[in-house]
Amino acid sequence: MSTVTQPNPLAEGLHDYRVADPSIMVIFGATGDLSSKKLLPAIYNLAKQRLLPAGFAVMGAAIDDMSDDAFRKRAAEAITQHSRTQPIDQTVLHAFLSEAFYQKVDFSKRDDFKALQRRLDELDSSRHTGGNRVYYCATPPPTYETIVEQLKATAMTTGPGFHRIVVEKPFGFDLKSARELNKIVQRVFHEDSVFRIDHYLGKETVQNILAFRFANTIFEPIWNSNLIDSVQITAAEELGVEMRGAYYDRAGALRDIVQNHALQLLALTAMEPPIAFDANAVRDEKVKVLRAIRPLSEDELAHTTVRSQYSKGWVLGERVVGYREEHAIPPGSLTETFAALRLFVDNWRWAVVPFYIRAGKRLPKRATEIRVAFKKPPHLTFGRDAAAELETNAITLRIQPEEGISLRFGAKVPSAGVKLRSVTMDFDYASSFLVETPEAYERLLLDCMIGDPTLFTRADEVEAAWALIDPIEAAWRDGRPPLQFYEAGTWGPAAAGKLLEADGREWHRP
Amino acid sequence: MTAVSPQPGLDWHGEDVTIADVLDALNRVRHSFARAEAGEEGQPHPRSCVMTLVSVAPNSVEETRAILASTAIAKDHPSLSIVVRDEPRVRSGRIDASVMAHPIDQQNHPAACELVVLRVQGAAGAHLAGLVDPLLVSGVPVYLWWLSTPPFGSAELNDALRICDALVVDSSRFERPYNSFLALSDIALKSHPHMGLGDLQWERLSPWRETTAQFFAPASRRHLMNGVSEIGIDYAGEGRGNRIGAAMLAGWFASSLGWKLQRASGGGGGVMAAIYQAEGWRPVQFAFRSVPRSYVMPGEVSALRIAGTSAGQSFSLSIRRDPERARRPEDARFASLHPAGGEDDAANELAQRKAARHLGVVEQNRESLHHTSTGDSPGESLPARPKVLATERRRPDTSDVLLTMIDIGDAGTLRHVQRVPPEDEAAILQRVLFMGARNPVFNRSLIAAAELMRAI
Repeated sequence: MSTVTQPNPLAEGLHDYRVADPSIMVIFGATGDLSSKKLLPAIYNLAKQRLLPAGFAVMGAAIDDMSDDAFRKRAAEAITQHSRTQPIDQTVLHAFLSEAFYQKVDFSKRDDFKALQRRLDELDSSRHTGGNRVYYCATPPPTYETIVEQLKATAMTTGPGFHRIVVEKPFGFDLKSARELNKIVQRVFHEDSVFRIDHYLGKETVQNILAFRFANTIFEPIWNSNLIDSVQITAAEELGVEMRGAYYDRAGALRDIVQNHALQLLALTAMEPPIAFDANAVRDEKVKVLRAIRPLSEDELAHTTVRSQYSKGWVLGERVVGYREEHAIPPGSLTETFAALRLFVDNWRWAVVPFYIRAGKRLPKRATEIRVAFKKPPHLTFGRDAAAELETNAITLRIQPEEGISLRFGAKVPSAGVKLRSVTMDFDYASSFLVETPEAYERLLLDCMIGDPTLFTRADEVEAAWALIDPIEAAWRDGRPPLQFYEAGTWGPAAAGKLLEADGREWHRP
Repeated sequence: MTAVSPQPGLDWHGEDVTIADVLDALNRVRHSFARAEAGEEGQPHPRSCVMTLVSVAPNSVEETRAILASTAIAKDHPSLSIVVRDEPRVRSGRIDASVMAHPIDQQNHPAACELVVLRVQGAAGAHLAGLVDPLLVSGVPVYLWWLSTPPFGSAELNDALRICDALVVDSSRFERPYNSFLALSDIALKSHPHMGLGDLQWERLSPWRETTAQFFAPASRRHLMNGVSEIGIDYAGEGRGNRIGAAMLAGWFASSLGWKLQRASGGGGGVMAAIYQAEGWRPVQFAFRSVPRSYVMPGEVSALRIAGTSAGQSFSLSIRRDPERARRPEDARFASLHPAGGEDDAANELAQRKAARHLGVVEQNRESLHHTSTGDSPGESLPARPKVLATERRRPDTSDVLLTMIDIGDAGTLRHVQRVPPEDEAAILQRVLFMGARNPVFNRSLIAAAELMRAI
C-alpha cells in the first residue's frame, strides 16, 4: 500500500526533485535484453540525475552463474551501449556499479530464493533500506507465476518496508489468461503494489494529453460530439519484427499494439475529467471509457476491421523482405502486422463520433499520434470558391517521435480578394521547455520506487481491453475479414483507406 | 543612419540607428528567413518563440558572455534574444545594432534563433524599457538577465523591471557582493508577487538542497527534521562577500522549517555562528567557517553537516565535495587571483572606493583629456573606456562530486556518491528560466539570508 505522508518542506521548489525511499530493486532476468537495453540504462540515468536515494541498490537475479563483479562488468557494458545520455559519466557509473549486486536464481528452486533473501537482508542493514523491495519481472510472462509463488513461499513479500512487483506487457494473451495472471499476482500482492508497465504511459506527451485537456479552459468545452467529427489514432513503425519474430507471430498487431498502447491513447483522449491526478481517479475514468466502447457485432467485424500483413518493399530507402521471410516466422503465417478498426464510445460525450485506430509495422515512418478532426463550419460565409483550399480544424497530438501539438485553422491569404487557406500553429514539446525529456522507463521506474501507480495499467483496465479485443481476435482467426497484404513502406492496404472512405473521410498522413 | 547587410535578407547591421530602424530590420529578417526556409513552392512554417531573453551587459566581455549563452539556449529553444550593451558614460549618445536570425536544427520543425544586439552609448541606456519594449514578442515571457551587478535602486533598473516578467542575476559575480546581495533581497521584499527573481548562484546550490531533502524524504526519517540541533557549513574565501552561498543555505533551512533567527555573530577568519529557534523553543546552532580548499573557489560551499537527535535516535548527515577529485591546474590560477578579503577587509574596501572615485573622474574628463595626448580634436576620437578587470569568481569547470555520509543510530555509515555534472552558464540559466524564474522558495531564502548577513 502506498502511504500518505506530509510534504517534505525541504523539497519545495526543487524542480527535478522526486525521490523514493531507499529500496532494493531485484531484477529477475537481469541478464536479459530488457534489463540490458532499458532497465540498467534507465537506473543509471536516474542516478546521473541524482534521483536515486542514498542506500538504493540493484540486485540482479537470473539463471546465469556469475559473481557481483561479472554482473557489474556486464551492466557497465550495457549502460555504455544503451544509455540515452552519452558519454557515460564514469563517476556516476562506478558509484552505481558499487550499488549493484548479483545472485544466481533458478526460478524453480526454493533454495535459490532463500539465498536471495539472505543477501537482501544483509543489504537491508548495511544500506538502510528498511526492507523496501521492488521486484521487477524482466522475464517472459510464463515465469511470473513461479516467481510470485516463490516470493510468497520464502516470505519475501512480508515483513517491514514495502514490497512491490513490476510486470511487463503482454498482460495475458486474452481475457482468460489475463484474469488468471491477475489472480496469481493478486494472491500475493495488493493491487496498489502491482505495477503493470506499458511504457507508452511513461512518455511525457501521453501524460500531456491529460494536461492539454484538463489544465486548459479552451479545449474541454469543444471536446465532444457537438464539434468533433472523428478521431484518428495512428501507431506506425518503420521497423519489421526484428528479433521478436517468435513472439510477434503469436501476438500480431492487434495484441501487440492495439490492445494496450492504442486503447490507452483512446482512453486518455476520451475520458472524463478525473477528480484528481491520482492513480485511482485517473484509472477509474479510463476504465469507464474502455467499458463504453461498443462491442463489434459479427457483421461489423467484417466491415469495420482490417487485418493485413506486409510483403516485401522499400522502407526508408532500403529494400526489406516480406513478413513471411523474416527470421522465425513460418512461411505460411497468417498473423497480421497491420490492424485498422473503427470503434464507437457509447456515452453522451462521444455518441456517433468514430474513433479510427491503425497500427502497423513496416509503414513509411515511425509516428504515433492522435488526430482530432472537427466538423465543418455550419455556413460558408466566404463562399465556396474562397474556401476551396480550406480544410476543417484539427488538433494533432503527436506522441512520437517529435512530441508536440498542432492546431490547424483557417486564415485569409494576403491578397486583394478573399481567399482562405489552412495554416498550422505548432507546439514542439522539446523546444518549448528548457529541459531534456526523460526516457519513459526512467519515469516509470522512479514511479515504482515512489509507489505511484498512476501511469500503470490496473487489472480491470487490462481485462476491459481484452474483453474488447477477444471477439475481434476470434473473428480474425476465422478469416473474417480475410487477411490482406500491403507493400512494406506504404500506409497499409487499400482496405484501410476504404474503411474511412466509406464514411466520407480519409486517413491523415502523419 | 548607416546600414550594412553582410548577408542580404538574413543579417543586418546598422550604426547610429533608431529603434524603429532595428524593428524594421527585424521584421525584414523574419520575412526573409521565412521565405528562405519555405523554398520556392512551400508555405512558410509558423514562427515559434518561447521567450524573449533580454541581457544587459556593461562591457564587451559581458556582451560576449551574453551572446554565447543566449545563442546556446536558442539552439534548442526558439526565442528572441536581445543583448543590450549599455555604455552610459560615453557622452555622444547613439545606438549601433545588429540583427541576426539563424536556423535551428529541429528536424521537420525549422525555427529561428533571433539575436538583436544593441550597443547603446549615452543616456538612452538609462531608458531600457523604451529601447526594448518595441522589439518584444507579444504574449511570451520576457526575462531580464543582468550580467555583472545591476544598478540596484536606480531608475534605470526600475525602468527595466517594468517590462520583464523576471530578473535574473548571478550573485557570485556581484562586484560589491555584500551590499548588492542585500539590495537584491530588497527587490524580493518589495517587488510585485508576479515579478520573478532568479539567481544563478542559488541554482548552483541545488545539489546541496536536493541531497539534504533526499535525506529527510523517507517517512521513517521525517521526524529527524524536528531534532536537528547543529548545522555546519564550510565555504571558501574570507570576508562577508564570500558568505552569500552559505547564508542562502542557512536562509533556506530557516525559511523552509520556520526557524527564527535569535542572534548571530562573526569572528575572525571567516568564522560565524548563529542561533535559530525552532518550534518556538528548540535552539538550532549554525556554524560557518571559511575553509581554504584548493579545489573550491571563493564563495563556494565545500561542506554541509547536519546533526541532531530525535526520539532517542542520533543522526548525522555530511555532504562534502569529494576532496579526491582531481582539480585542473587552471582553477588554482583563478583562485589565486581572487582577493581573500571579500568586503570585510577595510583596506581592500578603501582601495575599491578610491579606485571607483578615480574611475569616475577619468570618465568625466576622458573626452577633454584624450585629445591633449593624441592631438585629435575634442570628440573626434575616444579612448577605450578604462577597463577594470573583475576578478573571475567562477571557475570554468563547475563539475563536482558530492560525497554524502549518513549515520542513523547504531547502523553503519552509509556512503553515497553523486555527480554534479559540469554546467556552463547557459545550462544554469536555462534551469533558472525553466520555472519562469518565479521561485518563492528562493525569495524567502534570500530574505532570510539577508537577515542573517545583516545580523553578523
